Amino acid sequence: MALFEAHNLHKRFGAQIVLEDISLAFEEGQVSGIMGPNGAGKTTCFNVLTGRYKPDRGSIHFQGRDIAGLSPQRIAQLGIARSFQIMNLFDQSAVIENVLIALPDFRARRHHPTQAVFNDRALLDEAQSVLQLVGLGGRCWEPSAALSYGDRRALEIGVALAARPRILFLDEPTSGLGAEGREGLLNLIRSLKDDYTIVMIEHDMDFLFRLADHISVVHWGQVIAEGNPAELMANKWVQRSALGGLS
Amino acid sequence: MMTLSDISERSSNWLTPPMGLVAMIAVSAPFWLEQVGLYQYLGIEIAIWLIYAMGFNLLFGYSGLHSFGHGAYLGVGAYAFGLFQVHLEVSLWGGLLAAVLAAGLAGALVGACVSHRRGIYYALLTIAFGQVFWFSAIKLHWLTGGEDGLLNIPRPELWLGFARIDLNDNRAFYYFILAFLALTIMLLWRIVHAPFGRVLQAIRQNEMRARFLGYEVWRFKWAAFLVSAMFAGLAGGLFAMAQQSAYPDVMSLHQSGLIVMMVLVGGGLVSFWGPVLGVMLYFIARDFLGGLTETWLLWYGLLFMALVMFKPEGLAGLLDDLKQKLGVRAKAPSLGLD
Amino acid sequence: MTLLLPHLFNGLTLGLLFALIALGFTLIVGVMEVINLAHGSLFALGAYVALVFLGGDWLAETALGQWWASLPLAGRYVVALVFGPLLAGTAGMILEFCLRPTYGKAPLYGLLLTFGAALVIEELIRLLWGTGEQHLPLPQDINGAVLLGGLIFSKYKLFAAGFSALAVAAVWLFLERTPYGAIIKAGAHDSEMVRALGYNLGRLRLLVFGFGAGLAGLAGIVMAPIWGLRPHLGIDVVIPAFLIIVLGGVGSFWGAVIAALLVGLAIGVTGAYASAWSLMSMYLLLIAVLGFRARGLLGRKSALES
Repeated sequence: MALFEAHNLHKRFGAQIVLEDISLAFEEGQVSGIMGPNGAGKTTCFNVLTGRYKPDRGSIHFQGRDIAGLSPQRIAQLGIARSFQIMNLFDQSAVIENVLIALPDFRARRHHPTQAVFNDRALLDEAQSVLQLVGLGGRCWEPSAALSYGDRRALEIGVALAARPRILFLDEPTSGLGAEGREGLLNLIRSLKDDYTIVMIEHDMDFLFRLADHISVVHWGQVIAEGNPAELMANKWVQRSALGGLS
Repeated sequence: MMTLSDISERSSNWLTPPMGLVAMIAVSAPFWLEQVGLYQYLGIEIAIWLIYAMGFNLLFGYSGLHSFGHGAYLGVGAYAFGLFQVHLEVSLWGGLLAAVLAAGLAGALVGACVSHRRGIYYALLTIAFGQVFWFSAIKLHWLTGGEDGLLNIPRPELWLGFARIDLNDNRAFYYFILAFLALTIMLLWRIVHAPFGRVLQAIRQNEMRARFLGYEVWRFKWAAFLVSAMFAGLAGGLFAMAQQSAYPDVMSLHQSGLIVMMVLVGGGLVSFWGPVLGVMLYFIARDFLGGLTETWLLWYGLLFMALVMFKPEGLAGLLDDLKQKLGVRAKAPSLGLD
Repeated sequence: MTLLLPHLFNGLTLGLLFALIALGFTLIVGVMEVINLAHGSLFALGAYVALVFLGGDWLAETALGQWWASLPLAGRYVVALVFGPLLAGTAGMILEFCLRPTYGKAPLYGLLLTFGAALVIEELIRLLWGTGEQHLPLPQDINGAVLLGGLIFSKYKLFAAGFSALAVAAVWLFLERTPYGAIIKAGAHDSEMVRALGYNLGRLRLLVFGFGAGLAGLAGIVMAPIWGLRPHLGIDVVIPAFLIIVLGGVGSFWGAVIAALLVGLAIGVTGAYASAWSLMSMYLLLIAVLGFRARGLLGRKSALES
């Protein structure tokens, strides 16, 4: 069984069926991609996989355990982390605190009413090392609201990383980034490949094809094609649904 | 005022310089209050409201949960203290414990009903509950004495092992309350710098993200409500001792609104010490302005509105701006607590 | 069953009056996505202003006051019905001005501001008219009781019910048949769209606030003889008003009217059994409703739910 599997997911909003019998599998250690045109259901799929919505039918297995219908906090506690397309940071806190909150070591003592957090060197060092990873090591104590867009994107991913997840879901990480930002992000994710299992929704096909080991194409609420980048480029469905045009 | 860039080893200690300043002023107060034209009982009132306001700000400022009916828990504490003296026995610690526990129970029940909501619905629910308590206090005369409330609540003696202290002496009573205030401030300081407090602040800023990071948001919101209700209950018990009575008006929306105004005006939305500034300003306004005009509360309310419109950071924010202008602070902090 | 009739009728009257309050409230919320916690206070303001026109109490010393008091009560009542809403409407527009710095910020600030305004207005009432209960004198023609089908009904309540029904109908006509009304209705559904269509959003908001406040003030005058006058009248009204728009849905005309009638009937009926607690049932009902379903019977999701 793969690290993370979803079977026969079905989701509707009101009269509209958004996901119809979707099954996906993400192998450990790989970078998996989900792509498809807007309105195809890939965002909803992502949200169902990460626990934001409950599927109407179907099962989701993580490390062999069915997690469909669990609350987002329970899912996070199990080792699944996600980043958000529209950035979801703690805007009034310092950069380091955004990451601190995500650390499992911090979370373990979340109920403690009197222990001084900022006196804990070990915690602070751990947070700093995560920030180092995403290129923000020197900006720990700055207010997160003062960062540039690209840096906030990096922080957004850093927060998800800090949770030391077994599987990391990234929601359109290149959103709003320019060419330079994208290159930086590409290198970052490449550097994470060895230690993390990553699942990514992406619009930027060039980006996705350069990183992913396996890609699922979602359209009309279903998986219409999947495979590695080379296989997909040859796939006629992919070409036909105007997703072609890659160099 | 603390800002993000000031987080250092010292900030998480048990004692800090601002605490020292406040302590000096508070401890010395009985000796100079009358010289400046004030009176001992004012110190008692301020100290009680400080306990109430600091506890309230854990919920209002730090957790971002806007309870507009918090007077209910002060009231429950006051009535619990009074009823304990009347029906059980005249006991200082028994009464105060009853006050805290009763308010805690009320807070736990109400908190359970409101904590899954946010924003406007949360606020309205707290108003509705506050009104339920107020209304019940008036109608249940057999228990609460109706509109007149409970009267002639005694101030039990304080037994310190080596000495008996008569708390009818306002000066002694003041120091008794001060001890609780000190405890309140130190405890709250630790709480907001501890994991529990940091999670509350994260929830305030981004509830969804906090949830996706593995935090049981409802539970934390409920706990914040409970803790703030217990501080309100403590203040209520001391209030019942101070006034030697407990009455429904304390639970009215008017009174619940006062604590909101005090805390915001002082700068509770951006500073730990905001509520202190707010309470002091309120009582100064009441006693000095009130001596000049009957309409002082109207002006205070208008001040509140003006601050909400133009400077929600309140007094603490204005002081910080001043420090900036004078070059003490390097950059402007954004609206938020540290 | 016949014993229940007077209470049902009371409930209906109350419901119609609540409909006026709720309509103003829901339009403001719909167009502005602000919960106007001061709405009840505007209602109270209307009622107290009526007291001035009818009782002439604090003008009584002056020559103007004496002359005024000598005019027939009925005439003064009509004047009150005109000026009360105007004054409440003006207060509403001032409040809208005060709200402007808070637009675009977190909803908390609008909430705090209207909360502050409610407290300020309450304090103003306290200062001007004292903290005690007051009563409104009524013109002879609409005071007293009338016998209908073997049961005694209050003439005033009949008048109030009829008047409110007419007022609700007038509001409907205004919203449905006039261009201003159409804009307000559209704005209540989608204020962004209205701005995109080229209407001055600022002026629209001012208008809606004034109109909504005026309705509240009108309801205040008509209701004052039934409910009496006290400084915290405003708060007593805001909770049922909010309950009604939650039940009926934000921005919905019929939702507000139907829910208002239901709430009024509920108060009327509980009044039959436990009059002291009938008002409290409002708070409990709100708690029950918000505790479970916050979108109402006919409403849509609004920014209030973010």
